[in-house]
Amino acid sequence: MLGLVRVLSGRIALVLSMIIVGLAVFAAIAAPWLPIADPNAMDAMPYTPPGAEHWLGTDNYGRDVLSRIVWGARLALLVALISSAIASFLGIVLGSISGYFGGLIDTVLSRTFDVFLLIPSFFLVLLIVALFGSRIEFTMVAIALTTWPRSARIMRAQVLSLKSRVYVQAAKAAGASHARTLIRHIIPNGLAPIITDATILMGLAVLTEAGLSFLGLGDQNAVSWGRMIFDGQRELRLAPWMSIFPGVSLLLLVAAFNLLGDGLNEALNPQLRRLTTRAAQKPTCELVPTVPEPDAPILRVSNLRMAYDLGSNSIAPVDGVSFTLQRGDSLGVVGESGCGKSSLGAAILQVMAPNARMTDGDIDLAGAPILRDGCRVVHNGRDSLASLRWTKAAIIFQSAMNALNPVMKVGDQLIEAFLLHRTDANRDAAMQRVVAVFDLIGVPRARMGSYPHELSGGMRQRVMIALSLLHEPELLVADEPTTALDVLVQDQILGEIDALKKQMGLSLILISHDMGAVAETCRRVAVMYAGEIIEIAPTETIFGYARHPYTQALLAALPTVSGEKRLPKTLPGEPVNMAEPMTACRFAPRCEKAADICRTTRPPRVDVAPEHEALCHFAGLVRT
Amino acid sequence: MHVGLLRFVLLRLLQLVPVTIIVIVINFLLLHLAPGDISTTLAGDNADPAYLAMIRESYGLDRPFHEQLWRYLVQIGSGDMGVSFRSREPVFDEIMLRVPATLLLVGTSLVLSVVVGTSIGTWIARRPGSTLDSGISALAVGLFSIPVFWLGLMLVLLFAVRLQILPAMGMTSVDGPREGIGRVMDVATHMVLPVLALMTVSLGQYVRLARSAVAEVMGESYITTVRAIGFSERTIMMHYALRNALLPVVTVLGLQLGLVLTGAVLTETVFSWPGLGRLIYDAILARDTPVIMGSFIIMSATVAIASLVTDLLYAVIDPRVGLK
Repeated sequence: MLGLVRVLSGRIALVLSMIIVGLAVFAAIAAPWLPIADPNAMDAMPYTPPGAEHWLGTDNYGRDVLSRIVWGARLALLVALISSAIASFLGIVLGSISGYFGGLIDTVLSRTFDVFLLIPSFFLVLLIVALFGSRIEFTMVAIALTTWPRSARIMRAQVLSLKSRVYVQAAKAAGASHARTLIRHIIPNGLAPIITDATILMGLAVLTEAGLSFLGLGDQNAVSWGRMIFDGQRELRLAPWMSIFPGVSLLLLVAAFNLLGDGLNEALNPQLRRLTTRAAQKPTCELVPTVPEPDAPILRVSNLRMAYDLGSNSIAPVDGVSFTLQRGDSLGVVGESGCGKSSLGAAILQVMAPNARMTDGDIDLAGAPILRDGCRVVHNGRDSLASLRWTKAAIIFQSAMNALNPVMKVGDQLIEAFLLHRTDANRDAAMQRVVAVFDLIGVPRARMGSYPHELSGGMRQRVMIALSLLHEPELLVADEPTTALDVLVQDQILGEIDALKKQMGLSLILISHDMGAVAETCRRVAVMYAGEIIEIAPTETIFGYARHPYTQALLAALPTVSGEKRLPKTLPGEPVNMAEPMTACRFAPRCEKAADICRTTRPPRVDVAPEHEALCHFAGLVRT
Repeated sequence: MHVGLLRFVLLRLLQLVPVTIIVIVINFLLLHLAPGDISTTLAGDNADPAYLAMIRESYGLDRPFHEQLWRYLVQIGSGDMGVSFRSREPVFDEIMLRVPATLLLVGTSLVLSVVVGTSIGTWIARRPGSTLDSGISALAVGLFSIPVFWLGLMLVLLFAVRLQILPAMGMTSVDGPREGIGRVMDVATHMVLPVLALMTVSLGQYVRLARSAVAEVMGESYITTVRAIGFSERTIMMHYALRNALLPVVTVLGLQLGLVLTGAVLTETVFSWPGLGRLIYDAILARDTPVIMGSFIIMSATVAIASLVTDLLYAVIDPRVGLK
């Protein structure tokens, strides 16, 4: 019950639709006992407009319109229930047989569903009713016969995903028959989307019956809203209320069924709603542009904080990060999944998820301020980052399969990116530049005409790197550039990035969970934990003289090729819940060396040596 | 790559065959299951005995069941769908005569609803979850819940009866110009209300589809890439997101054609539009079974072909198709 209340809160449409369906059900059941006129009695004055006597007026035979609408709800709901019940039943039976047994049965049955889905159902219903007569039973069966493939397809998909579940396999292993497995273990768990779709089917059935009645193929003995509109059509000038009110009733009931289906669908699949959060950003701030100092560091980040809004609460994936990157330098950012390293990369180029917002901190790119106290800096209404994108800083993403547009040739994607920032250039110049970067990174020129799905993983990642190099940026942020690739290709790509860095004087930020990759490519390493950089130092220092227990644990987890044989050490416990406010050292619960102070006081940032900082109470004391 | 595409096209063409055969077989079975004698069902209640005998002969009604089915398949397959017993004209010719009017109505409203619906859907997808978005999304559900024939009547009531600014029925005025721009304008004026009715009920579908598709595409990482490159939100929306979001719209376009044709029949009935729908309606009133059956076959074939065209269109937009 409480669950129902939670589902309903904030969903006005769902609540309204339940009220409407409820009203219709009440009218349908209670019609004979309601204090309304006999729907077929012709004893009132014909063509009486709506008024005190007849709330919705009377028709051309002097029948009360309100009473006919109430009785019409009966027929509408009957059609809705029976036809969708038959259709769902047929769909469940045939769909689960098709999905469960697979093979030839599945091929034949699912082809049948496809073919039946192509048959325009209304015309088949029309034909059936025209041949067999206008009886409501025929109408309902005909509607069911033309709509069942919908449910069958849904059920088939459900069964396909359910039949490999452990509990189903267990039931079969325990000797349950096919029928028992299906009926007891599979079908009940796959019903939810069928029920959701059944409400949509109900709306469809009501509309179909009304359409048939409107064409004069309705049951003559029943009061139908469609039939009322059919009668009202001829009296449109004289008595418009005869057609207005039954139409409104139809509209409300069908809309209620559709909204109900929608609402149920959303309630059952919460991920459908997750799309719909968007964080409110801080206001932008206008700064008078200054001439950037020529020798300013390429990137300066200080006290950067960002938050993700997740429904009612929020987490801080980046929580007070500061570092500076000099031109030509390289920094590796390492840490476990969820430590905030990718969020940091996205924040530098301000391409965060829609539910992310910057809460505090400054970013300066090539001497130009782009973020101040968490506010985006603008000049004359234009983002100050806009003119620096791709010309000063570029980013490459983890999965190049998804990071390139699947429906555009890769060459065109690069050409467009080139022309965007070089408005003076023409297409030929762009093509030349693309060829140049392709040559540089080892992509055959012929690949310009390929779509991303036609390339191998390594080739796609090279195209992505080529894309990032188009405008010779000074800073390249590489977010797990090799994670999805096999080890050999990983090494090649990393080698190429390293070569480019030297050749072009690139400054590099390499975000990776792979300490080895970082060690090969970067001069410095920053270790992130729970949104903070807990240690930053030159690579050799990190590998030789790490001060933070977390860094030490990460290093201990690395398998070694030489030296003593030992099992890689794993770190106990889970990364902390970043939703909780910080009052202590975040690593303390997992730290072998934690003391009381670690659980009560935030650790200071300790300068261990030049270029070596660690966020630990004992960084200045501990020796390993 | 082109070999893959060609194979895909041929396979899809082949799939048209079973659909057509199944539809014809359904017709045949219904005819046999229906109460009453088949020859009278096909020839009408007061046909003359000679004509009845001819029907029996041509459908082979005295032959075994499977032979009847075969004859029926061959006959329908060759385009012979019998003779309308209202007009005494061949059903196929009757139907073809009405196709242009329906095509004009359905085509216009389909193009309008896709263009307008997709634009609105894309527009509200920029701010998913906003009041505007939820409002329009709920309204869209309302739109496709409207019975199209009732909406047609209400439009007639408002624009033809009350305001008297638009014609309520037919395709042309009785005394209107017969040729040139005058005739075009005359037909266009008559089209406004039926097109509006038909378009409104399918509009909601495209609004919702485009909205969810665009909102989903905007979360893809290649959109993050073009954002990082520095393309404006407007360019991203129009050039990148929309094209990818068109894929589901195209799919549904094909799948929903059956519903649109249904709407067309009902709309034509309301507006006395001289198309297929009107033909079917008149056939129902006169119990002209051959015409109803012929229309069912033609409508099914149209929907099947439309779904083929949709798949081809999909293959053009999405290079990944046909290369699994």
